[in-house]
Amino acid sequence: MEKIKNLLKRLCEIPSVCGREGMGKAMLFDLAGQYFDNMYSDSFGNLVLVKKSSKQNAPRLQIDAHFDEVGMMVCEICDGGFLGVRAIGGLDMRVLCATEVTIYGKEKIYGVVTSVPPHISGGKGDVPKIQDIYIDTGLDKETLEGLVRAGDIVEFKDGMCELLNNRVVSKSLDDKACACAVIDMASRADRDKLEYDLYITISAQEESGKNGAKLIAYDIQPDIAVVTDVNFAVGEEIDETESIAVGEGAGIDISALTDVKLTRSIMKMLDSKGIKYQRVCEPSRTSTNSDGVSVAGKGVRTVLMSIPLKSMHTPSELVCLDDIKSMSDILLEIAYTKKEAL
Amino acid sequence: MKELLKELCLAFGPSGYEDSVKAIIKARLEKVATSACEIIEDNLGGIYFHIPKNGAPRLMINAHMDEIALMVTGATDNGELRFERVGGIDPLVLSSKRVISENGIRGVISSKPIHLLDKEERSKKPTVDKMQIDIGASSKKEVLDACPIGTYFAFDSDFVKMGKKIKAKALDDRHGCAEMLSAIEALAKNGFKVKYDLFFAFTTREEVSYSGANCATEIIRPDYAVVIESKAVLDLPGVGSDKSVATLGDGALISYADRGAIMNRALTDSLIDTCEKNGIKYQINRAVSGGNDSATIQRGALGTRVALVSAPSRYIHSSSSVVDMDDLMAIRDLIFNFVKE
Repeated sequence: MEKIKNLLKRLCEIPSVCGREGMGKAMLFDLAGQYFDNMYSDSFGNLVLVKKSSKQNAPRLQIDAHFDEVGMMVCEICDGGFLGVRAIGGLDMRVLCATEVTIYGKEKIYGVVTSVPPHISGGKGDVPKIQDIYIDTGLDKETLEGLVRAGDIVEFKDGMCELLNNRVVSKSLDDKACACAVIDMASRADRDKLEYDLYITISAQEESGKNGAKLIAYDIQPDIAVVTDVNFAVGEEIDETESIAVGEGAGIDISALTDVKLTRSIMKMLDSKGIKYQRVCEPSRTSTNSDGVSVAGKGVRTVLMSIPLKSMHTPSELVCLDDIKSMSDILLEIAYTKKEAL
Repeated sequence: MKELLKELCLAFGPSGYEDSVKAIIKARLEKVATSACEIIEDNLGGIYFHIPKNGAPRLMINAHMDEIALMVTGATDNGELRFERVGGIDPLVLSSKRVISENGIRGVISSKPIHLLDKEERSKKPTVDKMQIDIGASSKKEVLDACPIGTYFAFDSDFVKMGKKIKAKALDDRHGCAEMLSAIEALAKNGFKVKYDLFFAFTTREEVSYSGANCATEIIRPDYAVVIESKAVLDLPGVGSDKSVATLGDGALISYADRGAIMNRALTDSLIDTCEKNGIKYQINRAVSGGNDSATIQRGALGTRVALVSAPSRYIHSSSSVVDMDDLMAIRDLIFNFVKE
């Protein structure tokens, strides 16, 4: 578990705000390179990590986890050292006030999201709109103009913090938790047992359009694809009909838009081996990359797996390391199972 | 003074639970105290440093040690903690923030993800009863065993330098404690030569009732009192000059009135005079807003002539308050020059 925790911590530290995933490419290749035969990127910003089976002409298994996270973009430099910003991805405005951020200008700059204290607001007011908030850098405007331009990226700052029972919180666990499971699985995969050549796609722009994984699937033309993403965790006022429980293992999603035979074969295989997982229902659209991957090219047999995550799209997303390990284990079982058996 | 401020801000000291802050202050006071000085501890957790001067008017300078916080009120079946606020906190600065308990357990404030909210809920200010503290526990029993009802939580937030400015939790009012300590240490080098029968009072419970200051006023019975505080300002782009209250970096903020008290004119003018004579940067409050210990002290004992000096502060009562180090140094210099003989 220590290995997974360290890998996850380093993945979360890689800047990869949606649409600017290229900023983290070198860091990711540096971190994961030792486990793969070949790594490349495409024109859209997708990263592909390849590990070959020792078998000749093995079928292709694409395993996707998206690289990008929600964030903000600088749109204006204001008097007093403040930055006006706009949202990238589905930002939760209820959590932004007093949040700490990193601005990726000519250098990394620290900032805090402005808020109105009750002494002035009298406790009144609604959730601010993005144009009502600023990033306070503490610097003067002239200094700031030399360091930051409109279009620069703003990312949540909060790093990883450990809670009880192997739970951790961090920014960007959506979807670095899955990227961690996927890379961990590939690092452990024994080439002699691999029934597939592994094409790990750390895809771009899931949070805005979900186009990256679909494009790279079109290029790879996998025989089978597993898309991994986070899913809502059971919590107060969130019941099991729309969520899965933290710490109870990775989820396998059942949807009209994923391959039902593939999904059920995997479940049967896991059941026969006594491997625990959670069933998740996504009757129609899954709102993950699997919606796109499954229709790439001539269509791809796709299964969707998920890790339960609390407080999605906030600087303090929560997951359990046991669930990452569970996903890694299940992915390994799939990669060791002959295509014909699925 | 910056290192001292950092130590004080990082200390855990919610209202009614100020002992760790007091311990830092006490150790510093004991280091400089001579046999002529007196260190007094009151029944509510406050600590005073007395530099006696027979026959001189009695002056109290006061800052509060406590910070706003959260307290556990129960737990959910899923193993999350329910909480209420200790002091005035806008719910908008709570969601997703990291917190730490009095017994060192880390947690995060969670709420329903945006994806599962309808349009109206997304734009409506969240309420505390819809938030929980998550410490990673998986059952009600486990979470309440770790953090029983009544457990304090405070923000878990670093002390960060932002150019000349500082970001931290609890700057309200640890900066006041730091300036008073720093002034005391400067006076020690001066052989404690002062104009007043002088008390520095580090008080408790400002954020919930001002009762620590009430206690200090009753014990000290000062002729004059100067309150060192944080003043919420909003010097942001597009905010008019009155609503912005004051400006970070423009110096010590002197108020003639706030919503709790009309300050003593002569005492306030003499503070301004001290600034003018010593080249200390100061500014006058552009609004009448906020309240603090000054009202309680003014009405305490048999009545006290009171004045208010504040650090203009952004985003107070959140995990990420911001002040300008120059303003804090100005307040320190003002205290020192006002009391020294």
